[in-house]
Amino acid sequence: MSAPVTRSGQDWRDLLFGLFLVAVAAVALFATRNLNVGHAADMGAGYMPRVVSLGLLAFGLFFCGRGVRRAGLAIEPVQWRPLLAVLAAVGVFALTAEKLGLAIASVVTVVLASFATREGRLRETVPFALLLSGAAVLLFIKVLALPVPVWPR
Amino acid sequence: MDLFDNLMLGLSTALELNNLGLCLLGVLIGTAIGVLPGIGPIPTVALLLPFTFGLNPAGAMIMLAGIFYGAQYGGSTTAILVNVPGETSSVVTCIDGHEMAKQGKAGTALAIAAIASFFAGTMATIVIAVMSVPLSVLALKFTAVEYFSLLVLGLIAAVVLAHGSVAKSLAMVLLGLLLGLVGIDVSSGAARMTFGIAELSDGLDFVPIAMGLFGLGEIIANLERPAERRVVSQKVRDLIPSRADLRAAFPAMVRGTALGSVLGVLPGGGAALPPFSSYALEKKLAKDPSRFGKGAIEGVAGPEAANNAGAQTSFIPLLTLGIPANALMALMIGALMMQGIQPGPQIMTEQPKLVWGVIASMWVGNLMLLVINLPLIGLWVSMLKNPLSPALPGDRAVLLHRHLRHRQQPVQCLAHAGLRGDRLLLHQGRRRAGAAAARPRARPAARGEFSSRDAAVGWGFPRLPVASDQRSAAGCGRRASLGDAFADDPAQSEGGPGR
Repeated sequence: MSAPVTRSGQDWRDLLFGLFLVAVAAVALFATRNLNVGHAADMGAGYMPRVVSLGLLAFGLFFCGRGVRRAGLAIEPVQWRPLLAVLAAVGVFALTAEKLGLAIASVVTVVLASFATREGRLRETVPFALLLSGAAVLLFIKVLALPVPVWPR
Repeated sequence: MDLFDNLMLGLSTALELNNLGLCLLGVLIGTAIGVLPGIGPIPTVALLLPFTFGLNPAGAMIMLAGIFYGAQYGGSTTAILVNVPGETSSVVTCIDGHEMAKQGKAGTALAIAAIASFFAGTMATIVIAVMSVPLSVLALKFTAVEYFSLLVLGLIAAVVLAHGSVAKSLAMVLLGLLLGLVGIDVSSGAARMTFGIAELSDGLDFVPIAMGLFGLGEIIANLERPAERRVVSQKVRDLIPSRADLRAAFPAMVRGTALGSVLGVLPGGGAALPPFSSYALEKKLAKDPSRFGKGAIEGVAGPEAANNAGAQTSFIPLLTLGIPANALMALMIGALMMQGIQPGPQIMTEQPKLVWGVIASMWVGNLMLLVINLPLIGLWVSMLKNPLSPALPGDRAVLLHRHLRHRQQPVQCLAHAGLRGDRLLLHQGRRRAGAAAARPRARPAARGEFSSRDAAVGWGFPRLPVASDQRSAAGCGRRASLGDAFADDPAQSEGGPGR
């Protein structure tokens, strides 16, 4: 469980965290650029977003600066497999559930999600997916009566 | 007397067959995830949140609460037998608990852990009941000014008391506030950060954010870790502790309970603070501190008691003031809002059945846990031998279906939040429990571990019922300087059950 104790010239955790904050702040500032800001005594709709995102920007720059200057533990390499497989499963479900219906979308989701781990075997995954899909239809459509189609329409 | 009336009402709610079953289900799930290292109560509750939609409010809360304190019990089993903390909160138990197991006293250690937890759970239930009455009287006097002060206090406390880097928690609270700003500004009607997507005009829903940050993020981070499976081959005997053991452990239990009860109430304290403090205290008070680390029974009893007491008293701020003491309580607020209940000081008087039912169910649940844990210990041990992989995609797929609810926006939010949560966990929280176990007296959580949780706490705040209480908002006259952030609430309260 122990993290590798390799040192690196930069503190990548701080640096990446800082970059993330800067990016979020930049998007927020851009998205709210047309809102009326007003001033402290009479705040417009854009006041809070402006204040909060400027604060975030300041924090982001602070962490970037600290990350560059300070040595820190190296981070482990990003494991793309689980990251992509899980997010793809979620995304595909969101896009297909309406059109293909719950039954098919669930099977696709489970199969996709199983790629997240190297231990997933199709021989085990497919029956599991079918079972889960059946259970989902029973629970969400028969019992809870959610307005989601079962089959493609 | 008022207190007893309330407790009776609570007991009658908790003992309804339905709620009893949900309580049992909750503590069983809790124990299971507590035993399994890698998946904790926070992602579990996040994943199960949507399932509580079909339950009644009291039943939903009883089950979710059961998961939380059940996990505290289960975590110690893994800590003692495998020397891997099942939960962050049982990191300390590893030190002396596993040492006891190595000396062949695994049964005693498990029993003491269970008894200490039960004792603490019982005492904490009483503490909650006693403290709730005056607090709820106080709550009736709350106006906009007090609400505002409460929010500021909560936000500051979340930062100050968070584990790890203060600067990072501050940044994450700001990020949470920013997320809370998405949607239509109620006072001007201007769309903020909706990017032209109609579904975003209601603001970001709590449940997808929580599931993404805590559920998906944790799952992905777990999958990235190399699989680590150790087969436990220890026979557990002597489940009844000797009188001498009990006598040695009892004072530690009492002190642990007291310490845990106090620390649990503090916002931002989290599950790791009480056991660590208790361990430090026991070591300081012991006549022979060198025994610690070599199987001292007080080193198991104290932290286990503290941990359970803390888990329960962290409900006090939630049930009385509507403030989340930790990320899990923020999820509970999400659960309440899904049921159409606005958490806040009024909850005690408006929903006595719910509040007291949950309080009483904690005691019932603790009793169940004692029964479940001691005789069934073999079952949990055998569960440890199994990989947890099949459970993960299953959970995930099911939660998605449930959450779809004919709207795609939440699922997409979820994916984004999952990505974000994963990044945060990835870059900041990799060393969690493992590293902490290696350096027991260091600050418990690896730095930044709670940062993404702070974001949810921060995000939760704008959703508190500040401005939805129109009366007091009007009484305030002008918007308080931060009030803007808290102003988009009415949509939340009315849209709550629909999600």
